[in-house]
Amino acid sequence: MTHTPGLYAVIRSEWIKFRSVRSTVIGTVIMFVLTIGIGLLIGFAVKGHLQSMTPVERATLDPIQLAMGGILFAQFAVGVIGALLITSEYTSTSIRTTLSAVPNRLRLVSAKAIVLALVIFIVGEIASFVAYFDGAAIFHGTIAALPSLSQGKTLQAVFLSGLYLTLMGLFGFGLGLILRQSAGSISTYTSLLLIIPILVFLLPSSWQNNITKFEPSVLGQAMRSTTGVLRGGTPVFGTWTATAILASYCVAAVGAGIILMSRRDA
Amino acid sequence: MISVEHITKRFNDTTAVDDLSFEVKPGVITGFLGPNGSGKSTTMRIILGLDRPTKGRALINGKSYHSLSAPLREVGALLEAKAVHPGRSARNHLLALAVSNGIPASRVDEVLNFVGLESVAKKRAGDFSLGMSQRLGIAGALLGDPPVLLFDEPVNGLDPEGIRWIREFFRKLADEGRTVLVSSHLMSEMAVTADQIIVIGRGKFITSGSVDDLTKNAAGTVIVRSTNNGELTKALANTSATVSEINDEGLRVSGLAAAAIGDLAFATGIALHELTPERASLEEVFMELTHDSVEYSQTAKEAN
Ligand SMILES: Nc1ncnc2c1ncn2[C@@H]1O[C@H](COP(=O)(O)OP(=O)(O)O)[C@@H](O)[C@H]1O
Ligand SMILES: [Mg+2]
Repeated sequence: MTHTPGLYAVIRSEWIKFRSVRSTVIGTVIMFVLTIGIGLLIGFAVKGHLQSMTPVERATLDPIQLAMGGILFAQFAVGVIGALLITSEYTSTSIRTTLSAVPNRLRLVSAKAIVLALVIFIVGEIASFVAYFDGAAIFHGTIAALPSLSQGKTLQAVFLSGLYLTLMGLFGFGLGLILRQSAGSISTYTSLLLIIPILVFLLPSSWQNNITKFEPSVLGQAMRSTTGVLRGGTPVFGTWTATAILASYCVAAVGAGIILMSRRDA
Repeated sequence: MISVEHITKRFNDTTAVDDLSFEVKPGVITGFLGPNGSGKSTTMRIILGLDRPTKGRALINGKSYHSLSAPLREVGALLEAKAVHPGRSARNHLLALAVSNGIPASRVDEVLNFVGLESVAKKRAGDFSLGMSQRLGIAGALLGDPPVLLFDEPVNGLDPEGIRWIREFFRKLADEGRTVLVSSHLMSEMAVTADQIIVIGRGKFITSGSVDDLTKNAAGTVIVRSTNNGELTKALANTSATVSEINDEGLRVSGLAAAAIGDLAFATGIALHELTPERASLEEVFMELTHDSVEYSQTAKEAN
């Protein structure tokens, strides 16, 4: 009992908390199942339609995006896991117990973010690679055959699918830190993914392309893209630019959350 | 040792704590007493670095809470019993706390045994009764074997046996030389639990001292029975006395000594059947001390 506990002790503590609550564990399982399961569903559904595709559709077909289609659903699960990781502490007022054990807000938030990121990253990468291999098996020998991992940007696209989930989990965590309420954080997160694209769609089309590419889910598609354009030809940011922009959203959200937490009463 | 130095805490328009200063010394049980809404919980949250004071500061053994690297080993606190994630088991809750402060896992089982929760250690804390939650909170406060302990309204939700248990427990902690601060809105509770008492009202310091000191300094009341209580009440109205109770038994008079009441009755021609000075109970002292603050807060609420 003599050493001074530091960040590592708080990470271990937060890991115990992460795995000892049903909601986070179930959320992680759902994210895993969605990434793989929806990928399979899309795979089987699209496979039957390949022959009836128009030439334009065929030209912009990105089989990796198809195999990774489950990410579009899993992104909601990770946002919820991230937000609940902190909002559940506020709704149960256990945040007061937590902060009296770890008064250093920066250390606490860092530990939570590290545990969250590691769990989603590991599970997300496994799920992404399983989804890739499922897709490769389904589309084997068709016009949508997936390139091998060693070809072009394939490995990168699969890897960045897992990273995208990780960043979105952190983004949800940042929203949770700022808003402190489960319902508010989750609805803000889903609005950003679902409602903003609809609102942008109502803007003059000359603006649309400029704004659309900054949307989190479009940044995700850019990260997974092996062609540089989306279906329909919408231009997107380069892979790493998109990754950096999404990471900056996470830093902004979590950073704002830490500042607010240091100023606000618990 | 806890030092509260000129703490003020405002929430929007509400001044919850108003330039409050006091010290809590080791080796005794210090009662922190005030009516509901007088700022006890807020003060305790400020001591624990949870709320930021608008002004002033609180120190634990000379250090601010934020500067403690393993706070659970220096301060143990039970603020709200239910400040636990409902889905987590009691044991995992305590284990996470212990690990964050470098406290060995074996200590978790020790404190669970001590509060008698070992049989439900694997149950979800959300399914605990208030009494069990209180025990879990106490287990958490004891994890780091801290020299300073804070308990906010700890007897709430405890059965009589639990209350006796917790009083003996506070006594043991104080006898071991620890600093023990226990809040309550019930004077009767503090009278039997605490050695020293700090009284606040409307966030302001009112008085402090030992239980004996507080009752000694308070004005006593006199029970008066006479042939004509109505006439006597009228006569008393012209003096500094306050008549607080009128019934068949007689009058309860404060603010005037028994001898003066006797003289007044004689002068008015009323025969006295009883004239009994009563030493003020601690409860009365408390009511008297905090009367203004309670009344103020009620009229303030009505005005809103
Ligand atoms: N978070 C808060 N926001 C606004 N007002 C608060 C808050 N916490 C406490 N108060 C107000 O501060 C005053 C003191 O409350 P509290 O410290 O809980 O008193 P006590 O514990 O003595 O009952 C009350 O008027 C209460 O309504
Ligand atoms: Mg209170």
